Amino acid sequence: MLLPEPEQNILDRRDEIVAALKSMLPKGCVIDDRTTMKAFDSDALSAYRNLPLVVVLPETARQVADVMKWCRDNKVKIVPRGAGTSLSGGALPLSDGVLLGLGKFNQITEIDYENRTVTAQPGVTNLAITTAVQDNGFYYAPDPSSQIACSIGGNIAENSGGVHCLKYGLTTNNVLGIEMVTMDGEIVRLGGKHLDAPGFDILGIMTGSEGLLGIVTEVTVRILRKPATQRAMLVGFDSAQQAGQAVSTVIGAGIIPAGMEMMDNPAINAAEDFVQAGYPREAAALLIVELDGPEVEVDYLLDRVACLMKTSGASSMRVSQSEEERNQFWAGRKSAFPAVGRISPDYLCMDGTIPRKALPEMLTRMSAMSQKYGLRVANVFHAGDGNLHPLILFDANAEGELERAETFGAEILRNCVALGGVLTGEHGVGVEKRDLMGEMFSEDDLKQQQRLKCAFDPDHLLNPGKVFPVLHRCAELGRLHVHHGQLPHPDIPRF
Amino acid sequence: MARYTPETSAEIETIIQDALLKKTPLKISGYGTKTGLGGQVQAADELSLAGHKGITDYQPEELVMVARAGTLLSEIEEALTQKGQMLAFEPPHLEGFYGTEHAGSLGGAIACNLSGPRRISAGAARDYLLGFDAVSGRAGYFRSGSKVMKNVTGYDLSKLMCGSFGMLAVMSEITLKVLPRPEYVASLSLKCARLAEAQSVLSAAFGSATEPSGGAILADGGEFVATIRLEGVQISVEDRLKSLSDLLASFGDLSVKDQEESNDFWANMRDISFLDKAAEQVWKLSVTPSLAPQIIAEIQSSFDIQFGLDWAGGLIWLSGSGAGLGRHIRQVLAANGGGHAMLMRASDRLRDIQPVFQPLGEAISGLQTRIKTAFDPENILNPQRVNLGGEADANAF
Repeated sequence: MLLPEPEQNILDRRDEIVAALKSMLPKGCVIDDRTTMKAFDSDALSAYRNLPLVVVLPETARQVADVMKWCRDNKVKIVPRGAGTSLSGGALPLSDGVLLGLGKFNQITEIDYENRTVTAQPGVTNLAITTAVQDNGFYYAPDPSSQIACSIGGNIAENSGGVHCLKYGLTTNNVLGIEMVTMDGEIVRLGGKHLDAPGFDILGIMTGSEGLLGIVTEVTVRILRKPATQRAMLVGFDSAQQAGQAVSTVIGAGIIPAGMEMMDNPAINAAEDFVQAGYPREAAALLIVELDGPEVEVDYLLDRVACLMKTSGASSMRVSQSEEERNQFWAGRKSAFPAVGRISPDYLCMDGTIPRKALPEMLTRMSAMSQKYGLRVANVFHAGDGNLHPLILFDANAEGELERAETFGAEILRNCVALGGVLTGEHGVGVEKRDLMGEMFSEDDLKQQQRLKCAFDPDHLLNPGKVFPVLHRCAELGRLHVHHGQLPHPDIPRF
Repeated sequence: MARYTPETSAEIETIIQDALLKKTPLKISGYGTKTGLGGQVQAADELSLAGHKGITDYQPEELVMVARAGTLLSEIEEALTQKGQMLAFEPPHLEGFYGTEHAGSLGGAIACNLSGPRRISAGAARDYLLGFDAVSGRAGYFRSGSKVMKNVTGYDLSKLMCGSFGMLAVMSEITLKVLPRPEYVASLSLKCARLAEAQSVLSAAFGSATEPSGGAILADGGEFVATIRLEGVQISVEDRLKSLSDLLASFGDLSVKDQEESNDFWANMRDISFLDKAAEQVWKLSVTPSLAPQIIAEIQSSFDIQFGLDWAGGLIWLSGSGAGLGRHIRQVLAANGGGHAMLMRASDRLRDIQPVFQPLGEAISGLQTRIKTAFDPENILNPQRVNLGGEADANAF
């Protein structure tokens, strides 16, 4: 994995750059000693580490704008960082780039129950939004597993999901407005408490843009009233194929559960060892289905889902009888990652999406790959929306195992694309999947995406080296060739 | 004037290439049912997608449908209804509103990003476009998104296509997320003496756990009727109807609309059929819901208008006349929490002399123009359909 070659002239100018940043930011907002910078040298994809040129922690949108404008004028790169929980290396620093952390943007600025919105600074954690409104019976729907730590600004960058996005949507479906700073140092507002602003949907493309188009300095999200009742059921199956089929059967019957998660046998047992959630250890696959709404609706749908599960060949079934039991059902799923961490020195958490109906086929391929690479794999899925999180177990201290695990992971993602899916579900492309983009997109597809980047950041100063395997210069991308499909493909070096 | 009706994406590519070589802009259309919306396109030739039609893939259990851009909206909805599914964003059928033969194409519905009453709970057209392939104004074929629910890898270009009014690229094939059709619907209506009171009714309903999927206010004589829609399995709708009745009992006398009455009522809201057909101007205002009564009061202080509210108060449909109406509306919005106003229907002349779309302010206009250039550097596709620039106005977000 290679990052763009650091520019020597920037490295040589480090003292001057640090001095300039110190002059425009309050005391304590610039970190330039190597020991303290170490805390910022990676995100949650900790296999990759790199010290930034310098770290800045601005406190206001104006300060972010000043830094951006200065960096644009001086051709210095910027890597934005929220809480640093990216699993794809989206906030991996560049040696010749300023790491701009938004940790000081940690205030909820407005709660508006009448219009059902919360406005917060980007460094506020996902869970803090729900915590702020839950006493009044509200919550913020997207709930990524990292919700106690990940920031709402980072959620926008990655278009985060969670276990409930089957029914309630991803971040992009729940964000109403943002304030952002462009690479030109302009502070602009998009959307707000009103819907569907005119013009091209910049709010829509900012969401999931992985810090390549602008830096978000304020966020307005919609909050929802907590459902009257929530109940979960655990359904065991003797084969993963049957479980996969059951997921399609439920949705085909017109039922959209609040969440529909799947775990395979290794994941079931790892979780059971860890938290004793009451999972059926002998099951080849387990579905956790959650239904929410008025009590009568939940009861009615639970009966219907139970019937569908039985006809799909369920070997065991349990419905939560109390809120405590429901939380216990989820505890196993929510702790699946640390649970797997206990049975293996290291693991790689992958993220890809396939059509639901391809789940059984994917599982068959996965066990074949597991044998081929001689590495164990535990699977947890957001089965309802086809989002896979295979956990590849390995030992980084064993010679060559990390590389083998990465190759295994890449093959899983290639299979996702081959089965009609995509390279990511909710973790983003970052550096992790950057070099696989060509599996999913043609050169022309990627060039068109990069032309959009040029509209925001023509010098590729914002988070370069992420998402796109080849950085085309904007001048080259802008050239128009009007000959039938004969666009030249110059041999540009890949990172 | 030439009119092209390509049947494949390769043909679309050829037509745009020729237009680029000749430097003659193209008007991009489906069946021309929404030409009354937006600026007037100055183009000698027309590229119509009316010949590029048909559903190419529909997998109900995957909640995915793929269709060519020129497929009639009615054909899409019929196929979905047969399988008990729907387009959850409830695209308006504006044939009555614009006086056209039918509701137009799927491509047009997506390109205009128009959504019906369920927008408030289920999202807009933009939330249901999973992927597409298209030919840009550079005559370049490209794809984005896919047929899965979590579809975004790279930039979410689907969002950009929704509401682009054909100015960035000509979509060829469109992949949609579809949802099960609710098995039952009922609505609750309540008459209030004052608009602000009716707005409070909607706010209370949408802040409750009864999961409303529509919230509207219509004037009735000197009073205002708030109507709230509940959808889902029948046993649940009936239960929520009871909870909501209890919640709203203190506001006044309630009446229930059954399935059939509800469907009629919400189709009427969706298709803007409640406004005066002969009105000189019809405006669509997107606002902070709780501020709607104040906004209407301020507009009424200077103009004689007719109006109705949807999206729990966040959408104001408004008709009236007078050259200064648009300007006044936008001033009122700027002073009341922002928001934006779109001129939905007016004569060609009126649409020429005032911005149809809300002016965006300098910084955003700059981004809009550069995005246009990224896809269509020669301004070949639908020039002037949307005013990307306009006067700078810091409050016009």
